[in-house]
Amino acid sequence: MKDIVKRLIQEKLALETQEKTRRHFIKSCAQGMGGLALSSIFMGCDPLTSSTKKGPITLSARDLNPLSTLAPPFAPKVKSVIYLHMAGAPSQLEMFDYKPELQKYDGQDCPQSLLEGKKFAFIKGTPKLMGPQAQFKQEGESGNWVSNFMPHFKKVVDDVAFLKAVHTDQFNHGPAQLFMHTGSARLGRPSIGSWATYGLGSENQNLPGFMVLTSGGNAPDAGKSVWGSGFLPSVYQGVQCRSKGDPVLYIKDADGITRDLKKSTIDAINKINKEEYAKYADPEILARINQYEMAYRMQIAVPEVMNINSEPEHIQQMYGVEPGKESFANNCLLARKLVEDGVRFVQLFDWGWDTHGNVRSGSIDMGLRNKCREIDRPITALIMDLKQRGLLDDTLIVWGGEFGRTPMQENRGNTKMAYKGRDHHGDAFTMWMAGGGIKNGTSHGKTDDIGFSGIEGRVSVHDVHATILHLLGFDHEKFTHEFQGRPFRLTDVEGEIIKEILA
Amino acid sequence: MEVLKQLLGRLHPLIVHLPIGFIILGLLLQWYDRKQKKFNKVSSLIYKWGGISAVFACITGYLQYVGEGYAFDTIKWHLWAGISTALFSFLMYSKVAGLKATEIFKKIPVIAFSIVFFILLSYTGHQGGNITHGEDYLIEPLPNNIKSALGFETFEKREIVLNEATWEEALIYEDLINPILNNTCVSCHNPKKTKGGLLLHTKEGILKGGDNEELLLAENSNISALYHRITLPMAEDEHMPPNGKTQPTKEEIKLIAAWIDAGHPFEGSIKEAGLKKQLFLSFFLTKHDYDYPDIEIAKVSKDSILAIKEIGIHVDAISKATNFLSVSAINKPSFKDSDFEGLLSLKNNISRLDLGGTQVTDALVEKLVQLPNLTVLKLDNTVITGNTIKALTSLTYLKSINLTGSHFETIHLEKLASFPKLQRVFLYSTNVNTKGVNSLKEGRIKIDYGNYELPPIPSDSIIY
Repeated sequence: MKDIVKRLIQEKLALETQEKTRRHFIKSCAQGMGGLALSSIFMGCDPLTSSTKKGPITLSARDLNPLSTLAPPFAPKVKSVIYLHMAGAPSQLEMFDYKPELQKYDGQDCPQSLLEGKKFAFIKGTPKLMGPQAQFKQEGESGNWVSNFMPHFKKVVDDVAFLKAVHTDQFNHGPAQLFMHTGSARLGRPSIGSWATYGLGSENQNLPGFMVLTSGGNAPDAGKSVWGSGFLPSVYQGVQCRSKGDPVLYIKDADGITRDLKKSTIDAINKINKEEYAKYADPEILARINQYEMAYRMQIAVPEVMNINSEPEHIQQMYGVEPGKESFANNCLLARKLVEDGVRFVQLFDWGWDTHGNVRSGSIDMGLRNKCREIDRPITALIMDLKQRGLLDDTLIVWGGEFGRTPMQENRGNTKMAYKGRDHHGDAFTMWMAGGGIKNGTSHGKTDDIGFSGIEGRVSVHDVHATILHLLGFDHEKFTHEFQGRPFRLTDVEGEIIKEILA
Repeated sequence: MEVLKQLLGRLHPLIVHLPIGFIILGLLLQWYDRKQKKFNKVSSLIYKWGGISAVFACITGYLQYVGEGYAFDTIKWHLWAGISTALFSFLMYSKVAGLKATEIFKKIPVIAFSIVFFILLSYTGHQGGNITHGEDYLIEPLPNNIKSALGFETFEKREIVLNEATWEEALIYEDLINPILNNTCVSCHNPKKTKGGLLLHTKEGILKGGDNEELLLAENSNISALYHRITLPMAEDEHMPPNGKTQPTKEEIKLIAAWIDAGHPFEGSIKEAGLKKQLFLSFFLTKHDYDYPDIEIAKVSKDSILAIKEIGIHVDAISKATNFLSVSAINKPSFKDSDFEGLLSLKNNISRLDLGGTQVTDALVEKLVQLPNLTVLKLDNTVITGNTIKALTSLTYLKSINLTGSHFETIHLEKLASFPKLQRVFLYSTNVNTKGVNSLKEGRIKIDYGNYELPPIPSDSIIY
């Protein structure tokens, strides 16, 4: 019985092979192709569609190295950005926004009409107006106003473009700093530096593309989110370097580990990773291999670039550096060295600008003056130094705080304060930009007679971001990242390029 | 009765698809059955149904023509073609079924009938589509050169450019508003295609407005229908220009509002209209001031770029909008003169070259002549003395040379004066006599020696 079945089956197969001609073969091929084509037309739950991924994986340079460079969509004016953030919010009324009228009203009650509907961090009741606590002079060929708190800065006043009427909608440090650096007062968005390195990568393969240096004794109130990568891959977040001790934590080889041993360890790990990649073809593995190698190269490059002692004496004096200490001057010199070495985005935070008048160091007439002295020489030196090396043409410097300060003297709890101070104020404050693509010596925007609100050329934080991206070669409306089902922009749905300060 | 007529007329666009479906089905079946002719009975039946439904389509079509008030000239070709299609369908029925009536055509193969029928059907359908969608509906998405090759009129975008020196003299309507409307609105609001009865290509058309609303309301953009429609959210049906069409830019919208608010003058200059400069900034001609020449250049192959990247040299396009390249040896401090040969496969495309901090010597400088489009050159922190710099005179686009920290010598400085487009030379931290010239060629070439100083001042040490 079994034999018969076997024979029958064999006979059937034999017949089939005779029947199936080449014609049949071609026909079924054609049908199969049609089916395949249809499956790609009717995409969806068909498991066949996922088969498209089974082909040979083509890896972009980005898969292998997330910091590999990409050309910007439009011709860029600058290659690098140095962002100088005065954390705590400097008083524009004692530095750049000269308001002689305010002096006349010094000590008088602030008009109710200005206070209605406004929120202040500490001011209660009716505060008194306070005139400028600094002397101003028009400087340079541009004739822009600079106060005597910034005596060195007047030498470079013709190299910067002022924005006199920037406004923000936040009046507390944390959210305002987040807004200033990520375009949103809420957590979770990438910072400007992350966007820049995500969009452009970094030329120097031995250094991170986005580096952060802090001074003033404290980190910014908003925490590390101001240089975070938000929803962008974390490789684009800022790398914070310390100016004391090891510039990057754990960058030194552990005790007893020689560089050769480290090299062979990494080689061994990467060998296994490469085998793993051969098996699974997961691009993440390649990115990992690359990161190990980059970290190894960074071990040499970072301590080298972070060593300010290698700079000649006169340069150190020009910046006023204090080797071995944490200082804004050191950071400015480092910023120049980093930009010189092709780092894309350098973020400097200097803490201690919150001059409420509650303590001596937080007073408008004393504490602020000390802070100004700490930045005046280094910033001036930074601009001059970049200029003499021909780097200022390729670099954008942005200076500002997270908001400005009130024309009124702070009266915390409706009492007289120990020192002269000003409260947080987001309606109008000053920022400036310098470098490639900037119309030097311009001043855009104007505040009212007492410096309370912008009356001409008001620009928002989004406008500042749009302008920075524009100078880097991006259209801020097109530069997006798909996240949670929608494209996100640094400027959200706002922002206009500030053409008035562009060359 | 009138109601029924109107209703039937409006069903025409629906009913026409019935004969189309039948006829296509018949043609396909005939093609499939062309060898064995097993289904001739079925296909002849299909053609019969096709003919009957086509007659209905003709009737409803005629009712629509009468009811909707089309001009006979507009629809005549569609009408005759439609009737022909109906008749041809019966002919096909007769031919395929082998009826006596068509014996006279016996010699003509049925395939010839089918082809003629297919063409006739397509023509009828196309004519119908032209009536409902407009004659340019199908060709509109084609690129301009194909359109004009096909003999269709093309829509020309007009560039809006103002000169920074003479912007106030520009005519507000003629040079700005008219081109803006031309570029974003006129393709649908012109004498040929007058959507909503609105003409936007002339002053008269704009003042007259469309069928439904007064278009421009004097001196107030808040109540202007034009401004209202272009500023509605994209998702609104009323938004103009419709989704998918070229939208006016933010600056253009602002300018239209300002123009309306200024009493929408059709004559006179910007100055006379009293509009602010700020409104026009985005229309100013931007000077080409980038790190590459203002010319077009062919792309280099990806492979030759990859080959150079392999040896550790950084190569990248200056931007996605240009094929010029930026080449940098930032990751290869060991770069020496002989490595330069490797770059020559990109020689026409290199506009920015950074060899700062490398091992290159004067011998290399001479070779740089082979990069005709070099615009920015960085040779800082090298041992270059300037001995051979004269060779670079022939580089017609070179605008900036960075020699910071090099061994450049004072005697070679004068040679730079013969460089045609040179603007900047950086000589900080060299042995060049800084007391010498600060500029060459009547100030056109600026020389930066650096050495800026910030001498100590008393306030440096005052702590409050």
